[in-house]
Amino acid sequence: MTVQPAMPKCWRPETKPHKFCPGCGHGLVLKALGEAIDELGIQDRVVFGCDIGCSLLAWDFFNVDSIQTHHGRTTPVMTGVKRANPDLICIAYMGDGGGYAIGSQHLVNAAARNEKITVILALNTVYAMTGGQMAPTTMPDQKAETAPYGRNVEETGYPTQGPEMVAAITREGAYVARGTTANLKQLKSYIKKALQNQMEGRGFSFVEALSACPTNWRTNAEKTWNFVQKEMPKYFKVGEKKVPGAEEKEGQ
Amino acid sequence: MSEKLITEEKRVFMTGNEVVAWAAVAAGAEIMYGYPITPQNEIMHYWTRLAPKYNRKFLQTEDELSAGFTTVGGVMAGRKAFTATAGPGNTLMQEPMSMAEAMRLPTVTIVQQRGGPSTATVIYSQQEVTMTTFGGNGEGLRIVYSTANHQELFDYTIKAFNVAWKYRFPTFVLGDGYQAKMRESLTVYDPEQKGIEFVPAEPYVGKPGTPGVDREPGHYRNTYNVEEELYEVLQGYFKDYAKMAEEVAEYQAFDTEDADVVVLSHGVVSRGAKEAVEQLRKEGKKVGYFRPITLRPLPEKELKELAGKAKKFLIVESAQGQFAKLIKDVIYGASVEIVPFFKPGVGITTDEIVGKVNEIL
Amino acid sequence: MDLARQNRKVNLVDLDIVEPCYTLRPIKKQLAEQNINVIAWETKETVGLGEAGNIIKPAARWALLNEGDVILDIGYGVEGSKTLNLLEGVDKEPNLRIYAVVNISRPMTSTVDEIVEYLKQLGNIHGIINNTHLGDETTPEIVQNGAKVVAEAAEVLQVPVIATTAERSVAEAIGKQDCMGNMVRPLDRFMPCTLW
Repeated sequence: MTVQPAMPKCWRPETKPHKFCPGCGHGLVLKALGEAIDELGIQDRVVFGCDIGCSLLAWDFFNVDSIQTHHGRTTPVMTGVKRANPDLICIAYMGDGGGYAIGSQHLVNAAARNEKITVILALNTVYAMTGGQMAPTTMPDQKAETAPYGRNVEETGYPTQGPEMVAAITREGAYVARGTTANLKQLKSYIKKALQNQMEGRGFSFVEALSACPTNWRTNAEKTWNFVQKEMPKYFKVGEKKVPGAEEKEGQ
Repeated sequence: MSEKLITEEKRVFMTGNEVVAWAAVAAGAEIMYGYPITPQNEIMHYWTRLAPKYNRKFLQTEDELSAGFTTVGGVMAGRKAFTATAGPGNTLMQEPMSMAEAMRLPTVTIVQQRGGPSTATVIYSQQEVTMTTFGGNGEGLRIVYSTANHQELFDYTIKAFNVAWKYRFPTFVLGDGYQAKMRESLTVYDPEQKGIEFVPAEPYVGKPGTPGVDREPGHYRNTYNVEEELYEVLQGYFKDYAKMAEEVAEYQAFDTEDADVVVLSHGVVSRGAKEAVEQLRKEGKKVGYFRPITLRPLPEKELKELAGKAKKFLIVESAQGQFAKLIKDVIYGASVEIVPFFKPGVGITTDEIVGKVNEIL
Repeated sequence: MDLARQNRKVNLVDLDIVEPCYTLRPIKKQLAEQNINVIAWETKETVGLGEAGNIIKPAARWALLNEGDVILDIGYGVEGSKTLNLLEGVDKEPNLRIYAVVNISRPMTSTVDEIVEYLKQLGNIHGIINNTHLGDETTPEIVQNGAKVVAEAAEVLQVPVIATTAERSVAEAIGKQDCMGNMVRPLDRFMPCTLW
């Protein structure tokens, strides 16, 4: 008899096993998020919004109120909910295409307005649901369906540095970090801090999670982990980018 | 400061945009999300001045996509939320409104039409009819009121919130730049004193209790796995829409009984059409007046009946046949002859309509 | 127009930049025929009117330097009054008189308290003109009622009521003075022609 690892309490057992591909990073990010929700005891107050892209498969993932929105539009929907009812804890969940391409104006402006919501963005360097096209975050020379010979940075620029951008445009009160599915304990602690930041009404909070897409990368388990653990961090540095109170300390 | 903006019925003199802001406060709207675009800006100007005094909220967003989607979020949180837009902004607004259709969300959107396509002009136009009634990907499951004067802007803005929350279809008040900017007298009132009951808002998310423990979670989606699943959901929506249509469709008509020519118009153009028909009747001419107030759903039964009686329909609009298309679809197969009188993006005077009727009588 | 008939040089400046529909532009020629110099854009000179129409004509900025009487049409209440700050020499012009035109049918100025609160926000004003009306529905009673409310507000604010204005037929029905003893100035309405 095999022993199943414990599921976070706020997961919805009726919809498990989940709908993601084998080896997909979403399950790990959502596990970290689920545990953070459990530990903070906010299941009754969370509204979970998911984008279009593979993140939409999470529309019935949790036993929390959830809204599946349009591509790139989860940030404004969650902003609208939060502004209308500030007692709710609003989480906008999306991929890198949703956050950094089609919804980038929403991300930038929600961050600039210091909206009291939490954005969690899974970065897998491709448009996965539509079949592996190049994303804003595709690595230099990485192959994708619309960059079959590898991303040419001369023609298409360099991968978007999301947390660095958000950290640059937010002011005191924001929380910004980049975690990875290769270090779930750390990722959970970032997500927890991000949610706490919202609960305390301090400001915008943003966590990017380095994630995997073996289906579109066409990689086996070993190569997948190699990419997440070794290749991605070369460009996407893991760590906290902005922590409330840090600027005051710097000034002292 | 009094709790209510309007404590007693009174005659006032306002611009149309000011009327909308007042009506929204009187209707109990709780939050407005908006992005600047002419000619709706003063709705936001007046709302932001009134809102803090009556404990209402406002958010200026980064664009109309965001204005629409934050409005969607606002109603899902259980608040009476609205937005206002025009022209190219209305184009962007179609994306959030298609989500509102898919999830049956009671958003209220004020559209002050301007000339198109694109930036074009900002004052006189009825060129956003197709977009406001059937914009977005989907089947046009919306309610659209086309107002003709400031009294109607006040009455139907209040009504829009009630109808939206009662039937759960996104609801639009379709004005235009001319109504928005012009000053006119009207009677403002407290709707509750007039016996208008407010349909209460209800949250979609954040209801009491822990989801999965005390209650089922609210899982809202507009994505479906198989075609049949979507088909079935839509069949339910169409049924609800048809039932709603019987209760919601509104129109004004007079002198149609024995009319050879019926002048059909909507919105601001119907002001001139009304005067023209009254004038022609005084001259003893057999002319009638018909004006749908709801463009979605249209008063179909009455239109079909009329199309079986009158010899000619003169369809007058400040667009190249957008309104006519809606009418023709409803009356398909009727013997009535359709005479177009289209002046896209330009005002139409009483005299012009009288002249045209005399030409075809 | 009375000033023009007295052969004084009159400059009328359109500074209503917020709701640019009701501007003087469409009736510029008509006013020019009455010997009034209108400083405003011609409709055809502007592009994307309304959208980009909130543009002040350069000549308007220097309006106060014109010879003769200068009448500034500002509009839009408190926000509009800030437009004055854009004018060259506005703080150095000793003859500048600012008159607030009040219509008690406007919802933000319908009671004595509201008028007082509203006009205080305008800053220094030199007088109030009672211009109470309801468009085509205006009756002498409506105007007289406005005169009473405006007089009361003027007393609180310690500023004079300059006049009551009304459309000519209404003004004639009221007589030379309103019920508060203020001069009644008849108005000839040009604005209906401005509706496009």
